[in-house]
Formats: sequence, C-alpha cells, structure tokens
Amino acid sequence: MKITIGLEIHEQIATNTKLFCNCSTSYREVKPNSNICEICTGMPGAKPMPPNRKAIDAAIEIALMFNCEIIQEPVYIQRKHYSYPDLPSGYQRTSLPIAKNGNLLGIGIWEVHFEEDPGKYDPVTGRVDYNRSGVPLVEIVTAPQLHSPEEARNFLRELTKVLQYTGKTREEGGTMRVDTNISLEGGARVEIKNINSVRGAYKALLFEITRQKNLMTHGRSVKRETRAFIESQMITRAMRVKEEAEDYRYIPDPDLPPVAITNEKIEYIKNILPEAPHLKEKRFIVEYKIKADDAKIIASELELANAFEKVAMVIPAQQAASWIRDEVRRILEYNGISFKNSGIEPDYIIELLNMMNSGKITVRTAKKVMELLPELRKSPRIIVEENSWVKISDENYVEAACEDALKENPGAVKDYLSGKREALNFIVGRVMSKTRGRADPARVLEILRKKVEGVMK
Amino acid sequence: MGTLDEKLHSLRAGEISAEQNIQNFLDKIENEKYNAILYVNSEALEEARNVDRKIKQGRAGKLSGLAIAVKSNINVKGLKTSCASKTLENYSATYDATVIERIRREDGIVIGMANMDEFACGSSGETSYFGPILNPAARGRIPGGSSSGSAASIAGGLSDLAIGSDTGGSIRNPASHCGIIGIKPTYGLVPRQGLIDLAMSFDQIGTLGRDVYSTALLLEVIAGYSKREAVSRKVENLDYTSKLTPDLEGYKIGYVTEFEELTDRRINSEIKKSLEKLEMQGAELVEVNLPNLNKALPTYYLTTFVEFFSATRKYDGRRYGYKIEDVCGEEILRRIHIGSYISQKEYSGKYYRKALQFRSLITRELLEALRDIDLIAGPTTPKLPHRLGEKISPLDMYSYDVLTVQAKQVKSEISLLEYSFRQNLLKNRRFSM
Ligand SMILES: [Zn+2]
Repeated sequence: MKITIGLEIHEQIATNTKLFCNCSTSYREVKPNSNICEICTGMPGAKPMPPNRKAIDAAIEIALMFNCEIIQEPVYIQRKHYSYPDLPSGYQRTSLPIAKNGNLLGIGIWEVHFEEDPGKYDPVTGRVDYNRSGVPLVEIVTAPQLHSPEEARNFLRELTKVLQYTGKTREEGGTMRVDTNISLEGGARVEIKNINSVRGAYKALLFEITRQKNLMTHGRSVKRETRAFIESQMITRAMRVKEEAEDYRYIPDPDLPPVAITNEKIEYIKNILPEAPHLKEKRFIVEYKIKADDAKIIASELELANAFEKVAMVIPAQQAASWIRDEVRRILEYNGISFKNSGIEPDYIIELLNMMNSGKITVRTAKKVMELLPELRKSPRIIVEENSWVKISDENYVEAACEDALKENPGAVKDYLSGKREALNFIVGRVMSKTRGRADPARVLEILRKKVEGVMK
Repeated sequence: MGTLDEKLHSLRAGEISAEQNIQNFLDKIENEKYNAILYVNSEALEEARNVDRKIKQGRAGKLSGLAIAVKSNINVKGLKTSCASKTLENYSATYDATVIERIRREDGIVIGMANMDEFACGSSGETSYFGPILNPAARGRIPGGSSSGSAASIAGGLSDLAIGSDTGGSIRNPASHCGIIGIKPTYGLVPRQGLIDLAMSFDQIGTLGRDVYSTALLLEVIAGYSKREAVSRKVENLDYTSKLTPDLEGYKIGYVTEFEELTDRRINSEIKKSLEKLEMQGAELVEVNLPNLNKALPTYYLTTFVEFFSATRKYDGRRYGYKIEDVCGEEILRRIHIGSYISQKEYSGKYYRKALQFRSLITRELLEALRDIDLIAGPTTPKLPHRLGEKISPLDMYSYDVLTVQAKQVKSEISLLEYSFRQNLLKNRRFSM
C-alpha cells in the first residue's frame, strides 16, 4: 500500500534578540516573564520594530543549504489570526516564503519562511510565560515525497544535522516542532500536529498508519482531518475535521514593510555556506578513501568533520578516521557533549597519535590520555610527561617486572601450563599494573610466554 | 488671550510659572462642561515644579511647561488609556508612547487624557462609552471626531495644546468643527509606537492648537525618525516654526473641482474667500482634477475595517477584562463584523486586496496632481456639523470623511505638509490640514 508523507519542520533560530523587539531570546534559564516588553506581549498600541536581520539572514542560509531558490521580490510578513492564550495579539506574524524549490536527500523542499514563536501557555495553572513570545523560527516545508516512517525519521535526522552545520539554530536542541501529513492509498490526507522530536514524528506516523489501515480493513473511510500527537501515550487524537478548518484571515501586516533580499546578500551568504553533511560524507569517502561508516559518523558534526580533515593532513587518513570514530566518539557519548564543547583540539589528536605511532606511549596510554582531555583540556604531551607515562623501553626493567609477576602468581602459571591459555593474560595485566601501563603489552606477552615455556623445557 | 508664542516667553522669563499654568488648567478641567477630559494626570503639578526648576537653571526644553491634552488612544504610562471604550476601561498604560517621551524631553506636561469616539471609530464625538463631547465653539452641535476631546480642550481653553490621531480625518474634522488648527502629518513622519490601532496603514498622530505656530511647534517636537518601528520616515531638518511666513510668492496652490461638487455651498463660499486671500498673498491658483475621488471613500473603509478587525483581536477578554464584541458600541461591532466578513479567505481577493490596488491607483493620481503644484487647498468636511444627538445613517456619517480620506491614501508626500503651514499664517480658521 502506497504511503505518502510530507513534513513541516519548525526550528528556533539562534539570535540574541527576538524577531520584532530587543528582548533577549533566553527563555529557559530565566524566570517566567522576565525577558518581555510591550512589543512581544502585544500591549495595546505596541508596534513591531524592524525585523531582526540576523534572523532573516539565518533563514536564507538554511534555505541555501537545501539548494533553494531565494525569492527576489520583496517578501511580505503576514498576520495569521487565531485565538489562543499564548498569542498576545490574536495573530502570529509569519512571512511569505523567502525561498522555494530546494531538496535534501532527493526529497523536495517546497518552501522556507520565518515567523515568530508564541508564548508558552500552561493549561494547568492558566498562566502564560511570554519569554518565548517573539523568538524567531524558521519553517521548512517538504514535498509529500516520503513513503515510510523510517524514511521520515532518516530525513529528519539528516535535516537536524544540516541545521546544526549552519550553527544558526539553537545549540541546546529540543526545540524542533514538526507537523506532518500522511495519506494511505485510497484514503484522505490527515495532518498531525504537536510533534516535538524526530522520535515523536516516527512514532506518530507508525501509529497513524496502523490506525488508518485498521479503518480501511473494516471498510471504513479515513476522514480528512487534523489530529494531535499525544506524546505520553504515543497516539494521535482527533482535533478537527476539514469542515471546521480555521480561516486565518491572512493579511499583510500593515506595520511592516516587505523585506527585500538583495543579490549581494545572497551571494555573500553563498560564499560562507558550509558544505552539507551528506556531501561532505561522500567527499570523505572519495578523497580520503575512508570507510563509508566512518565517514558518516565523522560528518555528523561540522566541528568533528573539520577536525578530521586537519588530523588527516598529518596522520594516515584511515587511522585518523578509525580513531575519531571509535575513541573520540566514545568519549563524547560517555560525557554527553558535542565535539565543539569537548575541549579536544585537532592538534591534540595529532600529538597523541604521533606519540603512539612513534612508540613513545602505548595504545593503552593513548586511550587513557584521550579520556582525560575533556577534563584536563591541555596538551597530551604535557599530560604524558606530568604522569610519567612514557613507554618503558628498558628491556631489563620489563623483564624484571615479568619475573616478579610470575613468582607472585604461581597458580596462574600452573593454570596456563595445564592448558588455560587465558591465564597468561591475567599475568600480563599484573605486569602492566606494576609498570603503570607504560610497558608494551605485546612485548610483555612475548617475554612471559618465553619465560613460562622455558620453565617447561 | 495672547498667543502661545507669547505665553512661552512669559514662562521662560518667569513671569508665570509652569505650576501656575498647570494649576490654572486643572481648575478649568474640574469645572468643564464639554466632557473633553476623561482622566487627569495627578502628577502634572509635580512635573510642573520640576520644569520650573529647569527654567530657573535655563535648561528647559521647547515646551517649557505647556499643558498638553492627550487623546485616550495614546499610551501615557500610568494613565488610563481607555480608547473611550468599556473594553479598556481598566487599562492603565504600562509604557509611554514615543511621542509622549518626546514631549516630556522638551518639558511639555501631559495634563490629562482626552475623550474621543470609541476606538477612534466615528466622525461626530458621540460614540464614547463615557458620553458625548460638546462643541465649545458651536453650542448644540457635534464637535466632530474622533479626536473630539483633543479639539474641544483647545477650543474650550482646557489645555495649551493637544495631540490626537487621524486615520480618515479624525484630527482635521474636529479641528474644523471646533474652529481650531489641526494637522494630520504625512504617514510615517510621527512615530506611532504607543498609538492604539484603528487602521495601521492610515493611523497617524498629529497636533491640535489654537494657532499655526503652536501646532507647528508641537509637531516639531514629536516628528522624526524612530528606529523603534518599521514604518518610519527618515526626514531631516524638522524645523517648521522658522518656515512660517505669509509670503506665498511663487507658490502654486491647487483646488480640486470634484471637492466643490461634493460640498455644501455655504462651505464652498468660505473656501472661495480663503482661496482669494491666498491669491492676494502671491500664490498662483491652479485647477486640479481627481477623477478617482469617488473611489477613495469605499477603498478607505474596506481597508480600515479589515485592519481594525485584525487590531482588535487582542481584546479577547483574556487580558483586559472584557471581550470587545461583548461591550463595545454598535459602530465598533459593525466594523469588526464587516472586517471579519471581508477578510475571509474566499473574499480576500475581492475586497481587501482589491482595495489595496485602488489605493495604489489613488496614490498615483494624487502624486501626479501634486507634481506641478506645491499643495492642494480645500474644505475639510463636505457639510456643516449636525446637531448633537441627531440620528444620521452610518453612510452619512462616513461621508464626513470623503474629503479627508484622500490624502491618507498617500503615504509619502512630505511637501504637502511642509508648505501647508504657510497658508495657515493667514489666520484662516476654516483650514485644517
Ligand atoms: Zn520584547
């Protein structure tokens, strides 16, 4: 059965001030109603200030990342009228498209525009917090060209990556809102609102497909309607049918002249545009000949990808890629941080891998130093020196440590000799601990084996 | 009573104090019978004493303690900015409109909030929730509207100056009916930040006074670019008072034949006399045709109804106590319903957008007419004020605006304003701009 899905994605644009006033855009970390003024609370007589150009430029940049054509005629900002407690003026200001006809992963992007976020209404207390009111949003509307919840999820993940690449949306995340429309072959189009995450979109679509298929198998028709996603239960619930569709009575906002986007501006932004993640991924595979899986992970964050390219100038590319994919990612995930905020500099990675490759430190030491980087934030060379972690290359010293370890663990030696080969690994561990990890474990194993088997003879 | 120019001299010379000036008006307001002032600024005397100190130190601003009445749709922090409606009867402004900041900066003193037609929707001064305003210049007649209280406070001697707002004639019309001077400046010249909306693309704050000089002086104070709003004109050299000269040599003044056809013959004969005076002062009179004049009024009302509908959505009962539709007068309700009706999706092309197209047409026509002349002179209203309380149909009421909506369609003709001061020097009281 053919499934058709389209998405409307709203994401907050990261600016210091709101779209139509000079209030700060921070609304999470401050007391309710502290970053407000007469404009963003829609007091009688308040007029919007000229729109925040940084927000508009950000929307243009985002549109260009999706290969959109930027609209050359002046763009009107409209009033979309509806009544809700979080909307202080009884209308939301939303621009006409600033860009059209883009694409991402082969899916068409119909249009991109900007608008203002409403405040936050708490139905339990009946209070409204206007700190968020007037924060700029970008809305991206796709063509109905997705065909499964998995495909939609994949698309949204990629889109999130692209937005993060631009650095123009809020870094802390969790601000994405998605509306989706879905129709099954032979059924009407259903819109789902109130989705707040990629996972939510996936779950809502899964539920909706099951619901619609059930209706059809029981010979009932799927109504054209708008439904709300209830995240706590992972279900959708009817909001209104088509006949009750709201008329927003759009008019161009008389307080705002249309926004002109100049050719110079478009060219300027094109020049500073980062390469899109999926393109970067492809380039890495071709240019550096690294594994496709590694390229995908490295390209997931712009700063990480940039670091890789810097490291790969000095270190063999596949080694750099594997190290970043395995070690760096592991540490980022363990600490729950992005590479950008990790304190790990590309130069540190180069230094570390050079020390490791030249045999100055062991692989084990290298991994340990790597783990310490987000906390210590200093050069690996200095960390190694301060802790005296330079690899011991004095054979006599290592041999003596092996000798001691064998004497201290006769049981393990006996086990090994009786066929339990893994018992020797235990003794390797003892030697490593005696040398505080500075011995080369491969060499230790070699020495131990020679010694134990020598005893046997 | 001397001119305001002379009063300013006396204030600066210390012959009268700002405190005396304000006290004098407060006494008059207490006993006023025009219902012109709804709410008095209880801090006016304190503010006046501060201005007196500044006068002594020789650093008082241009308005040096003059009393200004403010129309009740312009936000003055802490004062009731009710729009003369029950809808906002409990709303105390939380901020100063930009024009109020500018008046304070020049040491003008807000004496009180003036009565008006409810939400500025009216041309007669009869629709205020707080009762009609009386015309101090013509007993028993309407004062005109909607800045009725502002005009009556000047005509009735309750303030030195007043500010009002004009959308389709709301300053010029009551100024004309009350026999004073009133000006609607070019759209975008005076900041609207803090002016409660009637129709955003027409609304403009302007000044009212007893003579041209004081009206020009106050305009000089409140006009000029503001970066706090998106529609603001970047105009330099805002000096109107020094340009007031009776010499009209070399000026071309247009008179519109279509105006004459629409206007009462008693008014026409006054206009004729005034035009002759202008000619005597050296101006050349030129006949001007505005064939699309008949489209101006419907265009204006279609546009304003839709914008008014949009502007009043915030009065939904959640924040200001009452839902506007539940407590407003019939004229307000009529406008909201028509505005809501014609802004529906299915009609947007037919009405609002068509009105915007006609507006461009009328703008072009007027700009074309103004290309070869310096200004257009004409009557403010087509008929004399009716008796207070007399029942007239909404269409007759709207027709008061037929001559004033025209200029409003034009968003961008600064010269219209600048030169129109000159003719007013002739002390012709029938003129309002
Ligand atoms: Zn604000």
